[in-house]
Amino acid sequence: MTTMNVTTTTTMTTMNVTTATAAPTPSGRAAPPPEDAIGDMWMRFWFTPAGPWPLALVRILGGLVALALWASYAWDLETWFGPQGMISPALLAAWRSPWAASLFDGVTSPTALWLGYTAGGLVLLALTIGLATPLTTPLGALAFTTLLHRGPMLAGPADDVTAVILWCLAIGRAGDGLSVDRLIGAWRGRAESGATLRTRIALGLLRVHASVIAAAAALAQLRGDVWWNGTAAWWLTARVESRLVDLTGPFLASEYLMNLVTHALVGFEILFAAGLWFSTARRVVAPLGIVAWPLVGAVAGEPLWGLALAVLAVGCLPSERRGVYGPFWCSSPRT
Amino acid sequence: MPDHTPPPPPSEPVRAGLTVALGLYLVGLLLCVAGNSASGGSALVRTIHGKLFAPWMTLPWLDLGYDTRLTHAVAEDGDHWFEIRRLDAPASQTVVLPGPTIRGERAARWRRLARATALGEADPDREALLPAAVGAGAFGPWNTHDLSLAVMRHLPPDRGDVRAGNAAVAGRDDEAYAARVRLVDGEVQLIERTPPAELAPLVREPGP
Repeated sequence: MTTMNVTTTTTMTTMNVTTATAAPTPSGRAAPPPEDAIGDMWMRFWFTPAGPWPLALVRILGGLVALALWASYAWDLETWFGPQGMISPALLAAWRSPWAASLFDGVTSPTALWLGYTAGGLVLLALTIGLATPLTTPLGALAFTTLLHRGPMLAGPADDVTAVILWCLAIGRAGDGLSVDRLIGAWRGRAESGATLRTRIALGLLRVHASVIAAAAALAQLRGDVWWNGTAAWWLTARVESRLVDLTGPFLASEYLMNLVTHALVGFEILFAAGLWFSTARRVVAPLGIVAWPLVGAVAGEPLWGLALAVLAVGCLPSERRGVYGPFWCSSPRT
Repeated sequence: MPDHTPPPPPSEPVRAGLTVALGLYLVGLLLCVAGNSASGGSALVRTIHGKLFAPWMTLPWLDLGYDTRLTHAVAEDGDHWFEIRRLDAPASQTVVLPGPTIRGERAARWRRLARATALGEADPDREALLPAAVGAGAFGPWNTHDLSLAVMRHLPPDRGDVRAGNAAVAGRDDEAYAARVRLVDGEVQLIERTPPAELAPLVREPGP
């Protein structure tokens, strides 16, 4: 209003006044300067306390994925890491980063190796069911990553994503809902904890990583011609050993179908990476991610990678959608 | 009863400290992605990432590029596996790892190990390390001190070739690496087997 009144006097004054005052918003209030808006967004994103159950759900699902990955070492543990194993400490010294280390490096007997491995598995199991979570979430992340460092050449993309999930669980209060800890607390008459800052930061980090991992995968794929000419889906499904589903028949019959699957894979990754940052789009892409990532993993022959990314997508669900299911999980406030 | 009281907002110093920590981590995350890319990072990114971020992001398994390309339709994207055979018992069967009974993530880990064994040969700093270690690790389970270790890979066929009838849909197998590994006087010896295709052909000078 001020601006319009001044305009009737002189144009020069109008320019001065217009630049000096912020543009009015539809509600009539002045919008904050851009630096304040960015600051507000940052504050809202990282410092608005979040309720316990979304992270609790991530804990259960992420814990199950971690357990599956952990179990995949069991059959060959001594063949790989035993005293006479293939991946000897001497090899690791020359192979891995100088900053890497593993608690299993010092293990010199099969008994100690199995004890450490079993203990790590039990910690991950406790994390999954939410037992002593303030202790088991950081210990679970430590155990998981220390096993990866013992044999870095055995690790795959599912391990990379699961490590991120486990560290985020260690940062947040992952045991405040859907957990044995909560049951014990209720039995002792302790009130449920509400929204917390730590859980918000953990969920924020999950979303950042979900976006970065999807974007990095899409960028890596787009460096190859096959993702542009639409034949990548064929090369994925023609891998006899690692494929989960054999789509060579349909792809031989229809080139368009093969092209469509190829472009849909990259298109989804880009959509997911970008859509998580817009509230309207997030309502679609986060639930879509829960369904689509396992399918991408199945087509790519990396099912646990797809499942781990679906767990990340669970952590990205918008709060109002989570609220629909809230009463079934626990009676914590919706955030 | 659930505690619905909103928690008090964090104090200004706490927010400032967390903002610095989060900002630092996010910069580190971006530099890790840029510095660990398969294309190789720039000297600037590699230096900053290597000196400031890798030292503390490696241990929690966060110093990663996350560049899961899935496939670029090159030979190294094919499935890899080991074929191990005892040389001191010619009648013994060749053991395939992962064999048909090994499935899921366990099989995937064996394939990654086989792939790393083959690809490590292209890296001068890692050449021969993994084949020697894998071979030596196989001495015990196979009860031998002399074996043949091969890394095989599956090369999927081109779709056009299959449609034209020039290739089978099953593709073909190729030997990516092969060596003899033996233990002599307590020392592991690796004798690489050069693929016949890489040997120079003997060309006889045309006679008069």
